[in-house]
Amino acid sequence: MTGTTETTAPTRIDPVDYEIFAHRLWAIGEEGRIVLQRVTASPIVAQGGECMCSFYDVGGTMILACSGHLRFASATSDAIRRMIEWFDDDPGIHEGDEFIINDPYVAGSHTYDVMQIAPIFHVGRRVGWIASSSHTSDTGGVLRGAATEIFHEGIRILGLKIVEGGIFRQDVFKTIVEQCRDPHYVGMDIKSRTAANVVCARGYASLIEQFGIDFVQAAGAKLIADAEAMARRKLASIPNGTWRSRIYGSARNHATRASDPYQVICTATKRGDELELDFAGSSDQLTSDQNSTLPSTTAHVAIALTNQLFWDVPWSDGRLAPVRIIVPEGSALNCRFPAACGRSPRIGQYVVEAVRECLTKMLFAAGHDDDINASWGAFWYLGGPGFFYGGHNRRGLPNPQGLYDIHGGGLGAAPTRDGVPTGGQMNIPSGGISDVERVELQYPFLYFSRNHAVDGGGAGRWNGGTGSARLLMVHGSQDLSVDYAPYAGLPHGAFGLFGGYPVGTGGLRAILEPAAGFRQMLADGSYPADATEATADEIARVSLPPEGSGRVPVPEGHLLSDFTQGGGGYGDPLDREAEAVVRDVRRHVVSRRSADVIYGVVLDEQGSLDAAATDARRVTIRAERRTGVRSAMSATAGSPTDAAPDGPLLRFHETLEIVGTGANAAVRCRRCGEGLGPATDNYKRYALRRDRPLDELAGRAMPDGSAYRAVLREYACPGCATLLQVDVWCASLGGEEDLWDIRIDR
Amino acid sequence: MALTSPARPRYTIGVDIGGTFTDVVVLAADGAVSTSKAPTTPADFSGGVLDAIREAAVGLGLGMAEFLARTDLVKHGSTVATNALITRRGVTVGLITTRGFEDTTLIMRAVGRVDGLPEEEVRRVTSITKPEPLVPSERIRGVSERIDAEGEIVVPLDHDGVRAAVRTLVEDLSIDALAVSLLHAWRNPVHEAAIEAIVRDLYPDGRLFVSLGSRLSQVAGEYARANTAIADAFVGPTVRRYLSSLEAQLRADGFAGRILVMQGNGGLTIHELATPISTLQSGPAGGMLASALMSEVLGHRRAITADMGGTSFDVGIVDGGYWRYADEPVFERFRILQPITGITSIGAGGGTMARVDEATGRLLVGPESAGARPGPVCYGLGGEIPTVTDADLILGYIDPDYFLGGRQRLDLGAARAAIHQQLGKPLGLNLVEAAAGIVRIVDSKMSDLIRREVIRSGRRPDEFVLYAFGGASPVHAVGYARDLGVREIIVFPTSPVFSAFGIAGADLVHTRLATRAYPLPMPSATLNADLEALESSLAAELGRDGLDEAPEFRRYVTLQFRRQSTGEEIPLPWDRFTDERVAALPDIFVEHYERLYGKGIAYAEAGLDIAGLRVDAVGRVAKPELRPTEPGVVSVGEARKGERDAWFSGRFVATPVYDEARLGTGARLDGPAIVESPFTTVVVPPGASLAVDPYRNLVIRP
Repeated sequence: MTGTTETTAPTRIDPVDYEIFAHRLWAIGEEGRIVLQRVTASPIVAQGGECMCSFYDVGGTMILACSGHLRFASATSDAIRRMIEWFDDDPGIHEGDEFIINDPYVAGSHTYDVMQIAPIFHVGRRVGWIASSSHTSDTGGVLRGAATEIFHEGIRILGLKIVEGGIFRQDVFKTIVEQCRDPHYVGMDIKSRTAANVVCARGYASLIEQFGIDFVQAAGAKLIADAEAMARRKLASIPNGTWRSRIYGSARNHATRASDPYQVICTATKRGDELELDFAGSSDQLTSDQNSTLPSTTAHVAIALTNQLFWDVPWSDGRLAPVRIIVPEGSALNCRFPAACGRSPRIGQYVVEAVRECLTKMLFAAGHDDDINASWGAFWYLGGPGFFYGGHNRRGLPNPQGLYDIHGGGLGAAPTRDGVPTGGQMNIPSGGISDVERVELQYPFLYFSRNHAVDGGGAGRWNGGTGSARLLMVHGSQDLSVDYAPYAGLPHGAFGLFGGYPVGTGGLRAILEPAAGFRQMLADGSYPADATEATADEIARVSLPPEGSGRVPVPEGHLLSDFTQGGGGYGDPLDREAEAVVRDVRRHVVSRRSADVIYGVVLDEQGSLDAAATDARRVTIRAERRTGVRSAMSATAGSPTDAAPDGPLLRFHETLEIVGTGANAAVRCRRCGEGLGPATDNYKRYALRRDRPLDELAGRAMPDGSAYRAVLREYACPGCATLLQVDVWCASLGGEEDLWDIRIDR
Repeated sequence: MALTSPARPRYTIGVDIGGTFTDVVVLAADGAVSTSKAPTTPADFSGGVLDAIREAAVGLGLGMAEFLARTDLVKHGSTVATNALITRRGVTVGLITTRGFEDTTLIMRAVGRVDGLPEEEVRRVTSITKPEPLVPSERIRGVSERIDAEGEIVVPLDHDGVRAAVRTLVEDLSIDALAVSLLHAWRNPVHEAAIEAIVRDLYPDGRLFVSLGSRLSQVAGEYARANTAIADAFVGPTVRRYLSSLEAQLRADGFAGRILVMQGNGGLTIHELATPISTLQSGPAGGMLASALMSEVLGHRRAITADMGGTSFDVGIVDGGYWRYADEPVFERFRILQPITGITSIGAGGGTMARVDEATGRLLVGPESAGARPGPVCYGLGGEIPTVTDADLILGYIDPDYFLGGRQRLDLGAARAAIHQQLGKPLGLNLVEAAAGIVRIVDSKMSDLIRREVIRSGRRPDEFVLYAFGGASPVHAVGYARDLGVREIIVFPTSPVFSAFGIAGADLVHTRLATRAYPLPMPSATLNADLEALESSLAAELGRDGLDEAPEFRRYVTLQFRRQSTGEEIPLPWDRFTDERVAALPDIFVEHYERLYGKGIAYAEAGLDIAGLRVDAVGRVAKPELRPTEPGVVSVGEARKGERDAWFSGRFVATPVYDEARLGTGARLDGPAIVESPFTTVVVPPGASLAVDPYRNLVIRP
């Protein structure tokens, strides 16, 4: 990805001075970030933390980023390199300059990612760069959801001096903000980044004053080199092999206005202390705005690496040096100009999950059990209303657009515990969501509910954390509109681990039209407190907008229902303690129906465990699994007794291990000893395979009555019927039927 | 009445319960100050309190009964609420909230997963989880009602539903305390009040402790407000019981005066009326208040408070005698809404551990702490990882035979072996270089924190004096203050009991903060009506505290540019608004804002909103004035108690050691020097000087 810095590492840096320097640099960045968050107008920045301050060497290699939005951490290096390439000679880069840039074909994910970067000078010589970056709500253009090329997505700045020679340029400022629907909003955001850069520049100058420029540059180089050394060391601790993942998403097809599923395929090959991530096989470029530019894909890969694999490595570009990324041009992950990419953070999340699925299984094989989480981004389906609002609130101010409850999604299950419910999002591990009271002060909404979603997490021996579900009424707006996508009935962004379900089955995402007596019902003292109550007894019904998709008006008094992503499960749900499932039902995170259908746990009328019925139910489910088919000839699989030779064991899967090395290495069940073929073949071909229709699992149709477009494909051990893996499979997209997800070199 | 009667109190006792010691400061009517300490007794904190008071009586040559009989006020900073939360030993609480929002305190705005964790922990993205809730899902009940952001009732309260929910919680789930927190109750509290009335009607004996969110905070933000109600209910019965029991014991020993309780806002209230949650963080508030009091006595406009203890380093800013409150302070990983003095902490203290990172060879200091147990290696209590205290010992800054006045012997050999083996060897540094490295790194981290806090306040470090207190602060003060550029460091004679000193000098203070969403310009009458309402409710509280004269009010307004989420609070320069004054707000704010964030950053064109109002009501409590002492015949030589080698600027220097008690007013000395008292060691490096001022404060020029 990025090489190490051009600066040669010094022979010897005083370790104490170095430590002092590293902490001070971090503290300066934090100080800048705090200023940015206080001055900004965007709630997603102020409360959600979607911003970052970072430091670069003279060539643009990132030395250190402070906490904040990880996407910016790697994006801005590209922006700095391009500024140097394009503008170093003309108009020149001078002391006191600050560039503003938001072109996603250069850096960042979409035009809403705005970077402001400033060179650092010392006695007339350019010695480094600082950057303050954040999300902004508006760049003009068409409202979210309707763009098909980047020209629709508002002002695209390839580098303008917003500050020149220390003077804030009102001409540039005015020209930019007047392109936007709410100039004051965008203006405040620009000022917030300038203010943060002032803090960072002042701090950086004080570092040079204290330590001297030679030391500062050498220490910066060492930070980069240290990060690389730590990253390589982590990679070396993992067995060599190849891991593969397939994550699905969907996007509106511009021609048909229906939604098309797409796939993100990742192949991770680990050799020695290096890692290659190849996205060959991923879907072609899309006709909607859900494409990802190469810089955006790279940034999202960096998020996955940082959170999952290199969490203990400082946030410096050095950590990415041992990683090579290959993305086919013209795919949805490396779209060709001028494809629209306003929604690239969505496909970006699937890139994160695709990479994480590979990394998680790699880390498991290396025994790093604390670092294992199933999917953080799983939706049972998508489509219906989004969360980018247009129109005005009751004070007549434009609505601040997005409401980011997705920053409080459920997290994936781990090897010894359930996933954290409503725990966060990969982009901003320390972010969060807004109080409903604060939302209602700013937006024309009245909430009837924001609670944990029922069946929001993937089932497993350890459950995925559930997300949140909200039900709200338009309250105080005559012109509210929302982005609206056609429904796509397949799990998005989902992976379970080692027999855990990739996704929960719950949630309703729809515009609901209330029945005539709704206002009276409120005045009489009752209201629906979740989507099920809202749609029961004809209180409200799903409203399918005649527009079909794009921008859709939502009249005053209408309801909006949605849910955030949940976590994937870990291990076979039949292994979950029955009493734990009963507790889940009592806490309204698992429905009785799912308890029965997926966990095989039966509750009596009082809601207590019916132990006998549960035992029987679980026997039945195991028997059903045994009806599955094995795609490999059973003769080659071997039986438990003559399975594999003795030899060193490698636990590469919760339930499977490899016995022996070389040509004799074989896979067997750690539970029953059953053999699942040679280690040079795909264990799934020796497992019992069974497809589960989504409507059967969820017990309901899609909100618009459309058909589901995928199945959950279960693989069970032929010996003990334990679930080994549950994949999402969308036949219409094709690809490898039994995706060979783990291939260890022995 | 008693608090303000012209007869001055003969004695006022200030008490602060700390983690290890319970501290007492006695202010006599003539201005004399005396102090005492006794070990804290966590099983029943009143034991330690009475021990410390008894110790003080002995110091004054009085019997316990006589001492208490001559005491008018016991001002008490109790750690009982804090401790009950930390140890999770509170009562069984149930929560009633708006139906549809039962999971609010479990969702924790998602940020609850990382709230209260240090940066290093937050980066463990896939392994950190949320804390166990104080009220589990099973004891949370929703009731139908909805009030909108304007305070309008959209759905009336379901009274039958309330009765059923309360009955289930009390009779089936055996709760001891009930927290009630409904949406937008900060704006309109009628539904919460109605629920309380129903509860009182159902259970008139008053044994069920009830906490209403709307009574604890008038600030928007349902998550933190619900937490506040829950935490108040969780610790409430325990705090009440403790205070009653302490009162009974003091009365039994002859005390006839009044007991006032210290609150986290830096003011007192009478114990019968203390909101339990308001007593959280009263210790740190005491330190802040002591700093404010001393800044007034010494005429310092701005001071940095720097408290370095065993595990953490806490920094606050006193400006013009006051301090800011924290926004949504996080306590034990729970955000709450209470006016709590704004103090920022990092893991840097005597027990902070040092290690070498294997991959990079970096010398990492903190944030993990060995605490008091097992503590530093030199304590000999099983600690194996070198700490800051071990480094201080090797460098000669502290005396192995005079730690805590000789109460604890330190094992120099063990400290040397640990630092040599674990740090020096892998880093290729000799023992002393490694120890000096630890000290420089920890000093630098503290310095980074101070710089950040000072700059956030919109000032420069050289505009401040630094107050160093807490066990380890005076050892390190010059180290962390030198490159900040502060002019003076003050170490107070009351430094080892500084919070208790602040508490002893505290006044009655009640605070109200209220969220508003007022676009400017707006009529002054609305604002004045808001101020009047806030002031009259505060005056009523002070009246219940027994204050019968008019309180002093301090008024603040929070302003923000329209569309921002975060405002800035500024002191209001007037008692009441006029339309002209309202019109002047933008200019006042823009000036303030640009001092905080830089020239050109304010954006008045965007419009300005009032986002909140705050009023503090202060009831003065009579207290003695500190007496300056006359310069005596000072012979520094007489105070010299010995000499030891201490490490300065790369070498060991023979450094004279002085007994603080024998350094009289007017004494001056130049570094290198070490000044010791039983609980404090002050290190004065070469180039720095120290003088004793008329209040016996040690004034160091770094």
